[in-house]
Amino acid sequence: MAFVQNFPFFSIVLSMFAGTVSSVLPQKPAKYLNTAVICIVGTMSAVLLGFTLQTGESFTYMMGHFPAPWGNEIRAGVLEAAMALFFCIIMLLSLLGGRKKLLGEVEITKHNLYYILINLLLSSLLALIYTNDLFTAYVFVEINTISACGLIMIRENGRTIEAAVRYMIMSLLGSGLLLIGICMLYDLTGHLLMSNIREAVAQIVAEGTYSMPLLVTIALISVGLAIKSALFPFHSWLPDAYGYSTVSSAAILSSLVSKGYVFLLIKIFYRVIGFSIIRESKIIDVLFLFGLAGIIFGSLSAIKENDIRRMIAFSSVAQIGYIYMGIGLGTDVGMIASVFHIIAHAATKSLLFVAAIGLTDVSGGSRKFIDLTGAAYRNKVAGVAFTVGSLSMVGVPVFAGFISKFLFANAAVYNSGKMLPALVVLSISTILNAIYFMKTVIRIYTPAKTDYPCITWKQEKLYAVTMVLFMILNIILGMGSQPIVDLIQQGLSTFA
Amino acid sequence: MNPMMMLVVILLPILGGALVPVLPFQKRVYRNLYVEALVLLNSILVFALLWNRPIEALDVVRFTGNWTISLRVDGMSMVFGSLIAFLWPLATLYSFEYMKHEQREKTFFMFYTMTYGVTLGIALAEDMLTMYFFYELLTLVTLPLVLHTLTREAVLAARKYLYYSLGGAAFAFIGLIFTMVYGNTLNFTLGGVMNAAKIGDRTNILLLVYVFAFFGFGVKAAICPFNSWLPQAGVAPTPVTALLHAVAVVKAGAFSIIRLTFYCFGTEFLRGTWAQGVVMIATIFTIVYGCSRAVKETHIKRRLAYSTISNLSYILFGVTIMTPLGLTGALTHMVFHAFMKIGAFFCAGAIMYKTGRHYVHELDGLGRKMPKVFVIFTVSALALMGVPGLAGFISKWNLAQAAVESKHVLSYIGIGALLISALLTATYMLNIVVRAFFPKAGFDYETIADAEDPNWLMLLPLTVFALVIIVFGLHSAPVTAFLQEVAAGIY
Amino acid sequence: MKETVWVIVPVLIPVIMGIFLLFMKPSKSRKTLLWITAAGLFVTAGLVGYVLSLGDAGYTLFYLTDTLPVFFRVDSVSRLFVSVVTFIWICSGLYAFEYMKHEENNKRYFGFYLLVYGILVGLDFSGNLVTFYMFYELMTLLSMPLVLHNRSHEAVMAGLKYLFYSFFGAYMVLFGIYFIYHYANTMSFTAGGVFDAAVLAENRSLLLAAAFLMLIGFGVKAGMFPLHAWLPTAHPVAPAPASAALSGIIVKGGVLGIVRVVFYIFGADFLKGTWVQTVWMTLALLTVFMGSMLAFLEKGFKKRLAYSTVSQISYILFGLSVLQPVAVTGALLHVVFHAIIKCTLFLCAGAVIYQTGKTKVEELSGIGKQMPVTIWCYTFVSLALIGIPPTSGFVSKWYLATGALQSGTGIFTWLGPVVLLLSALLTAGYLLPVTVKGFLPGNDFDYVSLQKREANGWMLMPILLLTICAVALGMFPNSLAEFFAAFVPQLM
Repeated sequence: MAFVQNFPFFSIVLSMFAGTVSSVLPQKPAKYLNTAVICIVGTMSAVLLGFTLQTGESFTYMMGHFPAPWGNEIRAGVLEAAMALFFCIIMLLSLLGGRKKLLGEVEITKHNLYYILINLLLSSLLALIYTNDLFTAYVFVEINTISACGLIMIRENGRTIEAAVRYMIMSLLGSGLLLIGICMLYDLTGHLLMSNIREAVAQIVAEGTYSMPLLVTIALISVGLAIKSALFPFHSWLPDAYGYSTVSSAAILSSLVSKGYVFLLIKIFYRVIGFSIIRESKIIDVLFLFGLAGIIFGSLSAIKENDIRRMIAFSSVAQIGYIYMGIGLGTDVGMIASVFHIIAHAATKSLLFVAAIGLTDVSGGSRKFIDLTGAAYRNKVAGVAFTVGSLSMVGVPVFAGFISKFLFANAAVYNSGKMLPALVVLSISTILNAIYFMKTVIRIYTPAKTDYPCITWKQEKLYAVTMVLFMILNIILGMGSQPIVDLIQQGLSTFA
Repeated sequence: MNPMMMLVVILLPILGGALVPVLPFQKRVYRNLYVEALVLLNSILVFALLWNRPIEALDVVRFTGNWTISLRVDGMSMVFGSLIAFLWPLATLYSFEYMKHEQREKTFFMFYTMTYGVTLGIALAEDMLTMYFFYELLTLVTLPLVLHTLTREAVLAARKYLYYSLGGAAFAFIGLIFTMVYGNTLNFTLGGVMNAAKIGDRTNILLLVYVFAFFGFGVKAAICPFNSWLPQAGVAPTPVTALLHAVAVVKAGAFSIIRLTFYCFGTEFLRGTWAQGVVMIATIFTIVYGCSRAVKETHIKRRLAYSTISNLSYILFGVTIMTPLGLTGALTHMVFHAFMKIGAFFCAGAIMYKTGRHYVHELDGLGRKMPKVFVIFTVSALALMGVPGLAGFISKWNLAQAAVESKHVLSYIGIGALLISALLTATYMLNIVVRAFFPKAGFDYETIADAEDPNWLMLLPLTVFALVIIVFGLHSAPVTAFLQEVAAGIY
Repeated sequence: MKETVWVIVPVLIPVIMGIFLLFMKPSKSRKTLLWITAAGLFVTAGLVGYVLSLGDAGYTLFYLTDTLPVFFRVDSVSRLFVSVVTFIWICSGLYAFEYMKHEENNKRYFGFYLLVYGILVGLDFSGNLVTFYMFYELMTLLSMPLVLHNRSHEAVMAGLKYLFYSFFGAYMVLFGIYFIYHYANTMSFTAGGVFDAAVLAENRSLLLAAAFLMLIGFGVKAGMFPLHAWLPTAHPVAPAPASAALSGIIVKGGVLGIVRVVFYIFGADFLKGTWVQTVWMTLALLTVFMGSMLAFLEKGFKKRLAYSTVSQISYILFGLSVLQPVAVTGALLHVVFHAIIKCTLFLCAGAVIYQTGKTKVEELSGIGKQMPVTIWCYTFVSLALIGIPPTSGFVSKWYLATGALQSGTGIFTWLGPVVLLLSALLTAGYLLPVTVKGFLPGNDFDYVSLQKREANGWMLMPILLLTICAVALGMFPNSLAEFFAAFVPQLM
């Protein structure tokens, strides 16, 4: 066994350990430790990615060398490694972008607390990515929920507390459903390790027994994770949670946390139940429909919104809809599109959140559109970044969003039943996206006479660098998407 | 010529334009010289390129899969490219003078020049994806031009323009996907690329997609019911309205539809289907609708914008006939209408610039004070009406011949629409001419004492356009012969 | 056919001179203006004469597109029309030298007057349909300034109305041209038609519709019901010499168009006995009657004459519509005679307005005592228009009626002559009151303040000349009749 194969385990443990240590550290060291951990985990994931690409297949890693059913397994392949790497990049950039802002948002004494939560979140995300054990997955789902909740709440004002409570309730509902699903699965198969369940499920299906309970299980798990990832109509917690938490939290929550659950769902579909079985159950049709509804509804809500952060948050509802639509198409191409969109959306949405904060800062802290008039002139970097993000969201070529739009449309064509609704909704949603995003862009580029201060990139170098990196990332995804798509394809093929 | 040249002519204006606000120009004149030299040089390069066109294509960027941004010169590119290259330097010359009374000139010239490159990109695109790419870029790069004055009106207009264009592109995108999935190749091929074996029994879905894509691209070509952005976008400075909203942008829409119809879906596949009926009815309706609105409109530029809507649908009508002759007609009108309408717009701009008058009823008696401008306006008005001896007659003739030849009942109705539209054109254009030259008895010329013809920067382009209209009107054989060859796929 | 560039010279000369006049400095004296105009008129007339003397001449100027030549050709119909145009144009032009003194902006008037002359010569010489259409449009455009010359609100509105009706008609024509071009062998005017019989048979209903649209379209210019409404509005508001030219000549442009389309493009045989012919005859007769009736009811002097034009032109159209050689001869004769007569009538009306300022018929009592020469001339030409022998109108109407009776067109064989007769009575009813009231104003007329107000020589000369022609041509119609006998039968 190569040394590299230990990396997934190291990553998880390292970030957990860092979280624990942070509790006793003062603000600054905690900050640096956190950055360092993310960097290290990122590097390890990159190395792992290189390794898996070389071997071309995934491997399982038994913790403590205990075999199933007692042991706990980790499984890593191309896709997992790529995801881990990507999540690290986004997390790092989001934190860097919101770092200065954090000082104003969170009490200085609580900063180390903040970094604990971030570290825990990272570890749980990594665990969700790597684990090959359903129960472990459940445990980390909970850890994830709690740390996310903390991240929302840590900015102490009335709205965030309310949002956190709401988030908590919805999330726990989701977790509960997931737990019931897992229990039922355990009842049906007697296993918790994914690969074992897979075999058992295949057997059950072949025998034709327990078809109803299996369906219910699938439904429970899907709905549970859908609630947690804010699929329409389970999104009511989202706008407040994203809209009022600290900027880094919002960026991380919208681009990573919900995506972690989606990734888990995909994993369960492929690795636990088997995608062909999922396709036969009608559950993906339901997901497809909810996806479409979410796209339209999210966009419409965003259009009505008068607050830039909440607008971006509602946009997330629509984007999650895209992902579920791709899953709902029930083809491998659709799945590739969805996974790519997880990446593209994460890159874009965090960019937007961080850029939006730059704009609101130079508008007297107000997030109302009327005050944002001309903000792009006062903070040029943020203005450009926001424009790039918006264009990507609308799906203009060169940017990441275009590729995912293209992949979705392409995937839709291969499913003749769902082709037309998918394509039409895709087009309509492009128009709706254009309406609210470009309206904002025009707004921030309309000069206004205000006495708000201007911020140049020299004053906030870190912020500017982050924004530039974000934009480069977006354009890389948009222009050089082929390797990534290949990678996803390869990853998905070794997934099962 | 080296295929790299294609990339050069696209990038030169884009990069050169982007430099405009950065370079430290001491005086206005230097900047103007720079811009004009840049544009002129590029036009020369374009002509050189089109005349010694490289046979092979150039792959610029590889997107995903076999999707590339690639360029190639074919007959259609030659038509659209040379049209653009001819008009741009003249329009730039005009805008030097016109933009004096507007602000933020640097931004204006930056985007104005960049648009040149992007439009050429549309012309030179080898495949649907490349065209789509430049098509989207065109929307974005022209947005600041519409937004230029930054008044509330301009912001609303720009928003509308954006929503319509991006929305249209979204539907065109569906067409793109289908071409990719059901076609043999994405590259434009006269006659279409659809693969009958792949299509199987999905003909109707494909036709539906064609209609979607037609209307999607049609948004830029202001087809009814997606036309309302165009008159509203008239708040932009006149050079923009004239060059972009009468030629470059809107014709890019028409051009894309030609590409879609003749080079992707193929007329074999479309002719005689319900889809042809639908799109043809839409164009016929727009022809009449645009003109009727123009008659009602009293703002000069908006009136001309409605006229553009109608005339663009002439082009589209030619396309929807879906025969080589129809394409010839469409191309002829695409070229000739460019000259006629830009001439009319520049006259309107000159009037607005010199007198500050924006409404038709304010134009009384100006014909005597600004004779050159109004004579040229009259020429373009008559040409738009289709008076024989001027360019408009020829293009209408070609369109009508195509319609007669196609023996399609709807296209007979289309001829009727063309003629009704000609009558309405006479109504709204000659109304202006008569007012200007024959003010009501007892008109007091003192009220317009300070009106005069503009200087050579404005008059030169106008004169060139008027001459072109007359020369093409009297002797169009070389042009139409060339366009016929293009439509027959010789190039 | 002889190729010679001389054919286009009489077209270009007046056009160039007209443009020169328009762009001439306004400071030049009126005398210069008149000299140039006179020179333009006579030089062109001479050139026209020379071209006519060349016989069957033609010239292809250039190609609009590779298949659309701008082509001129002088044939018999051209000769007829161009002679009438030249004669009327000179008379009316000389008359205007004096008349236009009381109007503003003479330069513009004479400039456009010369321009339109050139265009009309071009129209008459046109050798194919597209060339014809080109000059037809130009005629409309360039004659508009003559209509709205005095720029009153009424005049401008009338000018625009004229313009839009004309274009409406022209575009209907164009619709037909599109179809003709596709189905015909050539666009050049050929006596007897340009279609293959097989093509005609195959696309019968389509081409009939095209022919019908073209008839209606040209009918607009000729004031045929239902698109005649512009004529009574536009003709009276123009200055009198312009009205004379419009009513005498421009309306004939529509007639020429119909002649060309029916006899030289489709061929009379194609239309004979079709619904198109029936509708055409009905419309023509309807217009004849309606025009006379409206003239009878009209109070304004010039407007009454304009309605008279509506009626009289439809005599011509009716003559053409029966598609019978005698009737066609009558129609073409009426083209000549009506041009002369109507021109005279308008010039007389102009003289009255110029001298007395009176525009209503009822104000004219005793006018014969004031302007005896003018009113005598008026009376003679009125009689001619009514068709009293031995004046010219009688000859043409005789041909028309005989032709109709021989035509075998069912009900129209007798209905036509009856309506023509009825209309003649009405003509007497609307023209003669001026004479009667003018010479016999009644007992309560104020003879004391009466004074001679005869117009001067520039105005009287043309009127006298025209009157003599109108009467003399009726007495010696043989040369004209021979001229027609030579080519009319070929048309059938």
